[in-house]
Amino acid sequence: MSLVLLILRELRHHRLNAVLSGLGLASAVALLVIIQLLTTAAERETRRVVRDLGFNLRIIPRATDPEQFFATGYSDQTLPADAVTRLAAGAETFVTFNHLTPILERRFPLAGRDVLLTGLGLVVAGPGEKKQPMGFNISEGKAYVGQALAQRLDTRPGATLELKGRKLIVEKVLVESGTDDDIRLFTSLPDAQAILELPGRISEIRAIDCLCLTADEDPLSQLRAVLGKILPEAQVLQLRALADARARQRRSAEQFAAFAVPLVLLIGVAWVGILAALNVRERRPELGLWRALGWNSGRIAALFLGRAVVLGVAGATLGCGVGLAVGLHYGPKFYPVTAGALAVDPSLIGWAILLTPSFAAVAAFLPAMIAVSQDPAETLRAD
Amino acid sequence: MVTCAQVTRTFATRAGRIVGLVEVSFHINPGEFVVLQGPSGSGKSTLLLTLGGMLRPSSGTVTVAGTDLYALSSGARARVRAAQIGFVFQLFHLVPYLTVHQNILAGLTSAQARENRDRVDALITELGLTERRRTLPGTLSAGERQRVALARALVRRPPLILADEPTGNLDPANAALVFQHLGRYRQEGGTVLVVTHGQEATSHATRILRLEAGRFVTPTLPLAANADSLVP
Repeated sequence: MSLVLLILRELRHHRLNAVLSGLGLASAVALLVIIQLLTTAAERETRRVVRDLGFNLRIIPRATDPEQFFATGYSDQTLPADAVTRLAAGAETFVTFNHLTPILERRFPLAGRDVLLTGLGLVVAGPGEKKQPMGFNISEGKAYVGQALAQRLDTRPGATLELKGRKLIVEKVLVESGTDDDIRLFTSLPDAQAILELPGRISEIRAIDCLCLTADEDPLSQLRAVLGKILPEAQVLQLRALADARARQRRSAEQFAAFAVPLVLLIGVAWVGILAALNVRERRPELGLWRALGWNSGRIAALFLGRAVVLGVAGATLGCGVGLAVGLHYGPKFYPVTAGALAVDPSLIGWAILLTPSFAAVAAFLPAMIAVSQDPAETLRAD
Repeated sequence: MVTCAQVTRTFATRAGRIVGLVEVSFHINPGEFVVLQGPSGSGKSTLLLTLGGMLRPSSGTVTVAGTDLYALSSGARARVRAAQIGFVFQLFHLVPYLTVHQNILAGLTSAQARENRDRVDALITELGLTERRRTLPGTLSAGERQRVALARALVRRPPLILADEPTGNLDPANAALVFQHLGRYRQEGGTVLVVTHGQEATSHATRILRLEAGRFVTPTLPLAANADSLVP
């Protein structure tokens, strides 16, 4: 008689134990799915928010005078434009830096006063990352104008600005930001290089750090170590407030998962293990019979471990469904994420269905070994 | 068929050591129907389980069909049990979640089940279980359960049947039916050892042995004994 048939019939016979075991596994899987869903959404949302807030790293020429840099807001030194390419090619780069954006920035006289001319190059993002621009995506021959600058120049979309013989069509007037963006003129990097007569040069690479470490974990040392190997002619500055905000958000999610996941696993193992042990105890006479019929230890162990695997598959299927439904519907009410950040990862379902039966078998291992070691003579004796 | 040589079995308990069997030696020839009697606690079940390869003796050897049972690994011993020995127990020991038909097939592989399909049907008919074929054991009477257990033991045609108080929970009619089938199995060439308090089996027995306090009190026959003689 096949083991599968025996297992299925036994589950139907001892249905209370089977249901409780299955529900325990399903609950554990559902909780883990919810935790994974919410922490991934929190990470995703944090990255989006921080990206929308902007970069938190500024990679500038090592020769930059700090007083000049902080007084003017940009470096008066330059790097070759291929510095971005060289940095992106580094083996450790996208572990530490991401969304590399080359920039050339200078004050430039326009209509009798200086404006901040900022040329933005194409973003270089890490594998799997969307190449969304840190700022704007401006085509050659076009310009974005800050609010205050536009008012001073009395310019609007469609108007033409001429800088050093180079015509730029105003594509957009930015909304007031309360920052120095209000007096910036954004162009493409090639346009800025031509206007400033700095072909093939950039003054800075802006980026986001990937480490998500708080200040006391000294992320700057790691960032500088990586940069020093690839671009020794550059140095990196970190905008601490933004970096810390992101690190704290991510740390909060990691701490929640680090606490919740082991707890769920521990309770799950205990629940399934206890129910498996009760099942072994209840089936002691049956075990004696199987021994009398010529079953060896391996087959008896397979009877109980196979039972756990079947329950694991059932629990995983149910748990995934419930976890996804609850997480997607109720998640934002209990965790600081928006519904838009929630997304189902199909591989999560696959992993759950693959790992849960193994987890159940591990939980049932000790009871299975107890079953194997049962002395058949104890249960088979006549009165 | 079965040879028991100087088998001793002791049990360690909280109250101290208990001796189950004391240097028991005897031989069962093929085709014998041996009845083993004795008071409760005399070691009858211990001896039966030892002969069945499920209770290792403290000393001595047990040979079934020429194989020293306890010289084998537990896996090999299980294979010998599956091939050579059928059991019938006082408490039936049916699998509660299998039907009558499935319980009879319980000790068979899928291939064996296919090969013995006709024999299974015949046993179900002979033992009056046709109406109960798809019933779970929980709803069967004691007599019906024991007939299922008997069919399970007989279906594989093992050379040796060991029955431990098979009629202890049965009425006289069902008890007679069980011994009738065991007797017929012996006539068909099987070897049967029955542990029993009752007298219903004696009419089928070729030999009656009596065990008291772990020792035979009736002389066991020499190894070359006539299988058809009865010990008074």
